[in-house]
Amino acid sequence: MTTATDTTATGHADHHHGPEKGLMRWIKTTNHKDIGTLYLWFAFTMVLIGGAMAMVIRMELFQPGLQLVDPHFFNQMTTMHGLIMVFGAIMPAFVGLGNWLIPMMVGAPDMALPRMNNWSFWILPFAGGILLSTFFMEGGAPAFGWTFYAPLSTTFAPDSTDFFIFAVHLLGFSSIMGAINIIATVLNMRAPEMKLMDMPLFVWTWLITSFLLIGAMPVLAGAVTMMLTDRNFGTAFFDATGGGDPVMFQHIFWFFGHPEVYIMILPAFGVVSHIIPTFARKPLFGYSSMVYATASIAFLSYIVWAHHMFLTGMPVAGELYFMYATMMIAVPTGVKVFNWIATMWKGSMTFETPMLWAISFVFLFTIGGFSGLMLGIAPADIQYHDTYFVVAHFHYVLVTGALWSIIAATFYWLPKWTGKMYNEGLAKVHFWWAVISVNVLFFPQHFLGLAGMPRRIPDYALQFADFNMISSIGGFAFGASFILFTYIIIDAIRNGEPATKRPWEGAKGLEWTLDPKAEYHSFNKPPSRKLIEQESQNS
Amino acid sequence: MSEQEYYVPHGTYWPIIGSIGISTLFIGLANQMHGVEWGGSVMGLGFAILVFMMFGWFGQVVNESTNGIYNKQVDRSFRWGMSWFIFSEVMFFAAFFGALFYARALSVPWLGGADNNIFTPDLWNAFSASWHQMAFLAPGTELQSGTVMSFPEVPATGIETATPAMVVDPWGLPALNTGLLLASGVTLTFAHHALRAGHRNQIVGWLVATIALGVAFLGFQVMEYGHAYADGLKLTSGIYGSTFYMLTGFHGFHVTVGAIMLTVILYRVQKGHFDADNHFGFEGVAWYWHFVDVVWLGLFVFVYWL
Amino acid sequence: MTEIVVVIIIVAILVALGFGLIGMVKGGREGSDKMFKSLVTRVTLSVLLFLLVLFSGYMGWIEPNVVMVDAPVAQSPAQK
Repeated sequence: MTTATDTTATGHADHHHGPEKGLMRWIKTTNHKDIGTLYLWFAFTMVLIGGAMAMVIRMELFQPGLQLVDPHFFNQMTTMHGLIMVFGAIMPAFVGLGNWLIPMMVGAPDMALPRMNNWSFWILPFAGGILLSTFFMEGGAPAFGWTFYAPLSTTFAPDSTDFFIFAVHLLGFSSIMGAINIIATVLNMRAPEMKLMDMPLFVWTWLITSFLLIGAMPVLAGAVTMMLTDRNFGTAFFDATGGGDPVMFQHIFWFFGHPEVYIMILPAFGVVSHIIPTFARKPLFGYSSMVYATASIAFLSYIVWAHHMFLTGMPVAGELYFMYATMMIAVPTGVKVFNWIATMWKGSMTFETPMLWAISFVFLFTIGGFSGLMLGIAPADIQYHDTYFVVAHFHYVLVTGALWSIIAATFYWLPKWTGKMYNEGLAKVHFWWAVISVNVLFFPQHFLGLAGMPRRIPDYALQFADFNMISSIGGFAFGASFILFTYIIIDAIRNGEPATKRPWEGAKGLEWTLDPKAEYHSFNKPPSRKLIEQESQNS
Repeated sequence: MSEQEYYVPHGTYWPIIGSIGISTLFIGLANQMHGVEWGGSVMGLGFAILVFMMFGWFGQVVNESTNGIYNKQVDRSFRWGMSWFIFSEVMFFAAFFGALFYARALSVPWLGGADNNIFTPDLWNAFSASWHQMAFLAPGTELQSGTVMSFPEVPATGIETATPAMVVDPWGLPALNTGLLLASGVTLTFAHHALRAGHRNQIVGWLVATIALGVAFLGFQVMEYGHAYADGLKLTSGIYGSTFYMLTGFHGFHVTVGAIMLTVILYRVQKGHFDADNHFGFEGVAWYWHFVDVVWLGLFVFVYWL
Repeated sequence: MTEIVVVIIIVAILVALGFGLIGMVKGGREGSDKMFKSLVTRVTLSVLLFLLVLFSGYMGWIEPNVVMVDAPVAQSPAQK
């Protein structure tokens, strides 16, 4: 530890330095932009790993019968694909976007707690490593589905499950620390002249998401801790012979799990609320209703968890309550969708790549939202439950919802991150390639589910063969689109045309007042009231 | 002080050390549970790294704080950070209290056929579910006390009547412990008052008293566990044992952490790090202690009484 | 009846604790005052609750929740 005087001296001298050189820059960094970059590349790597697992799943399901992998390995694939995409890809990607953008958007010099910010990233590679290492253990990786229901995950699971449990603990620490940091940044580091209702929607949605994270992640930690003691120390939380209840696991899990799905979609709403006004060249329609709708969705997300469990044992009164509460979420979500449409109404629209992704988000996410509404009807769910209809539903909201917004955000803010423009022509090819293939991939799964094909199976009855083949072809095409995506990003970073300060003429927001490639330390002096008003979405 | 710019530290090794430490700890623990020889030592190594990290990291922050590098805004960031960290702790305990309430109010009665719906099977004739039982003992099971379970003879009252052995008596240690912890809350409040009034000598006395009460609480808690284990209430004793030990165990862990933090605060008080207007370190730890105290009250009321 | 009073006091304690937290976040002399007052309230209420529970238990208004049997010596065939 340095002596007291040293700390003072270095503390001030280092203040305006640029980044360090070499690998140590990334390990020691406390800079929100560096950490954001780390998060985004980590998430991207995880997308590729999880995507490779999805390719194995779709290859196995290409034709009926068992071809490539044995059923146990297939189950490991579905489980790890889900876990990696949720905890390794989507969530870190949004934290990365938040890290990059929130301090710039609120006119702050950095995140509120920069050292902790470093830790919340640097836990992730370790957690991901432990999770992936389970593949090489005796008995293989967890194979009980990403929801790890007891007793599959307690009595009947391989030893590697304990490593999975600790990986989940670590991922939880990371998310909680990230969320605390974002709350402290938004509430304490905001430019003094910026009122809450001046904040850009991405900041608002992330603030509310942080509350969801801090409320939900500890409950997940509790659930996996109970699993751990049930497995190793003989407790009976989820064991009916000792007076516990496996259904209790599902209650605790989904009390975390339902807020979790909004954790993965609220920041996406924020991203889209930036892109659509920019390319419609109109202010966002209904700014304050957007804020209130986000808050109501967050509140409702805590009181609807058991709609995931209509078939696992609940009194009828419970089913009815959870069904009606679920229906209510459609109201604030509808407000959002109509606001985006109203923003585009009579706007002078252009269709640059981010806008294409954003518009297809609105369209495809709404499909996913409606199929969610169908699943929320308790009597209808008896037919849909645990079929491919569910798979189609949550891939429409998570791939064409969450992932879509992340890709849109990447194209939209890439100029600010790198100071370079991407290749617009190639990016459009990539968009059409992805949007067509993703629908070929997931739309037939609705039909499969309605016809009764269960999820999480390596083999299926002959009548499902055609749709599965179509779906697999779409899957391979969609997977290949990521090669092009990688090329476009690397090409932009290396050879892109220099960007201007504000590459999108309709864009509003404090981040666009910075240099084309945002300075290493932005907003050491907080922006003025005039500038904030000029750049506000709420005007 | 408030004129300065917001302090953004330059670079730091502590987080990566912390990540290595906590991963080592978890990998060691998992291997230990699977009976691997080196598990325990690796776990110890991870713990040592983690302790080293905490000393280094917090020490650096304390140093920066006493050197006046932090302005008011940094102070507020710490306040926000601490408060939401505690909220996450609240939610962690909520999961275990939720399990307690769910098992008591729903799953155990349902096992006994309550509500008479399709989810409540009839296990066997005259079986009566009771929260008090440790495991669902079948007729004919012999107990340590020599009683043979014979349900038909004790209709409707269940096991409880068969052997009413009182293993956890709320009038004994639990009541004493509640008194101790409440007293520690009172002494801490006196310390807080003394700090705000600027009486340093009194703070030290009250803080020492608080820590002593906390340690006494932990000692009695260990004794109670000993009694309970000797009388047959174990972690493996069904849902009652599970909720009882997990709730009190995590609470005890938090008391331990709180006592360590109070000791650090005691050291810092003696070093003169705090004054009447500027003592966030003290406030954060004090609030944490009050929180742990309230969790115990909840435990005392809901686990032992209601 | 006693149960309801007990639960109400617990909720009141949690509220006082919550106000203490808000005071702590606020900081400064004002926040510090608020925090201290809330914590005094919470300590007072806690002592009150403790005495109430003990007295109600003594009067027999509430029953302890701890009657236990001891563990089985042998596993019976019906118990798995």
